[in-house]
Amino acid sequence: MSVLTQRARSVTDKHTQVAIYSMSAEMTSEQAVRGAVQAHSKRVWRFALALSGASDVADDLVQATCLRALERHHQVTSHDRLDSWLMTICRSIWLNEVRSRSVRRAQALSVTPEAELIATVSDSETNIFATEVFTQVMQLPEAQRETVMLVFVEGYSYREAAALLEVPIGTIMSRLSNARQKLKTVMQLDAADNARRSGK
Amino acid sequence: MTFSDETLLAYLEGTLDEAQSRAIEAAVEDDAEFERRLMGLDPFAPIIQDVFEKLPAEAPKFGLSEPVAQNTNGRFLRVVAVAASVGVAAVALTFWATRPAELGWAQQAAIYQSLYVPETIASLDSSEASLDKQFAMAEAELGRSLDRETLESLPGLELKRAQVLSFKGKPLIQVVFADEQGQPFAFCVIRQGPNAPSAEVKQAVLSGLATATWARDGFGYMLLGSSPQTDLKGELDVLTRTFAG
Repeated sequence: MSVLTQRARSVTDKHTQVAIYSMSAEMTSEQAVRGAVQAHSKRVWRFALALSGASDVADDLVQATCLRALERHHQVTSHDRLDSWLMTICRSIWLNEVRSRSVRRAQALSVTPEAELIATVSDSETNIFATEVFTQVMQLPEAQRETVMLVFVEGYSYREAAALLEVPIGTIMSRLSNARQKLKTVMQLDAADNARRSGK
Repeated sequence: MTFSDETLLAYLEGTLDEAQSRAIEAAVEDDAEFERRLMGLDPFAPIIQDVFEKLPAEAPKFGLSEPVAQNTNGRFLRVVAVAASVGVAAVALTFWATRPAELGWAQQAAIYQSLYVPETIASLDSSEASLDKQFAMAEAELGRSLDRETLESLPGLELKRAQVLSFKGKPLIQVVFADEQGQPFAFCVIRQGPNAPSAEVKQAVLSGLATATWARDGFGYMLLGSSPQTDLKGELDVLTRTFAG
């Protein structure tokens, strides 16, 4: 059984998931939820960051999501796709409990996103491009941003993202099209910059 | 109906006509296999995924109390969890150990500015209304005036944009100009805090650009030319007088 989508390849996530899910047949729902929380917390955090635009709010959202998931472990009927269940909980806490408090911060985000989070890539030029991409994604409207995160980053299919966000699959595709149009500029600038550097 | 890879790529890049785009979207709704094929061709996904997957490993932190009763599986899970945290810590440590030497704000600003080409500034909206808005925002972030009048009257430079950036949580304002040849020029100001030491004007070539930096009364200043040879003297005289504290 694999709950790993093709692109979910963070080394630590993968390592943890393999160990935990190999014994899922004998798990209680609480254990399964606990395992999923461990395995997917980084993915949930990334999603929370995309929703809130601030790493400290994302920390709080992950914490709240984990606690809520554990409280509700009895609702789990299948140990499959607990990752998307956690994402749904995270988004629901964001929408219902945290968002209004963070709106001011989210607006400030449009000019100073937390681009300094990009600190672990190897060289300065990669770093600048990564920062630019990160900034552009974070400046997308919230609906496009959450869709981009789920599909492009977390590897959910369009129909999985549609189910998770409770919108028609057509909406997912049009959000992605709109996001691509906006992200195109930064991607093309990069290509143009490379061409300029190589003297073409 | 079948679609070639070229057609699907044109759809993903937003260059396909409306009718064909709708046909592709309808096909995706009906066919999960086709959906996978389309997703696999998307050039945006791997780039964006790569950026977000490299976000620091320090997050997330969360504290979950262990349940009181533990059966064998629970104990095993705890061992797995401990092993996993050791793994995460090891990855975090590796990132920490191999991270590039930390750059100061001036080096970072120079790297950023070095990517500017005449085309970058040619398309900026430098209308009075935009500049009003940009300066109001920049000055509010910075907590001081940027003396726009002086910046607008710098000899040989046309004011193009003021942009709010941030360096380690400190507001960093980048004001961009075009020189007479349309080459980008920049003046940056960062709020360093009341206890930051003052520094005399220091000229250096950073990231292939002639630069001058100085600091006064909690603010750092930087002037950046468009090449290693740019003569900054004229602008520097005015700016060091204006931003002397």
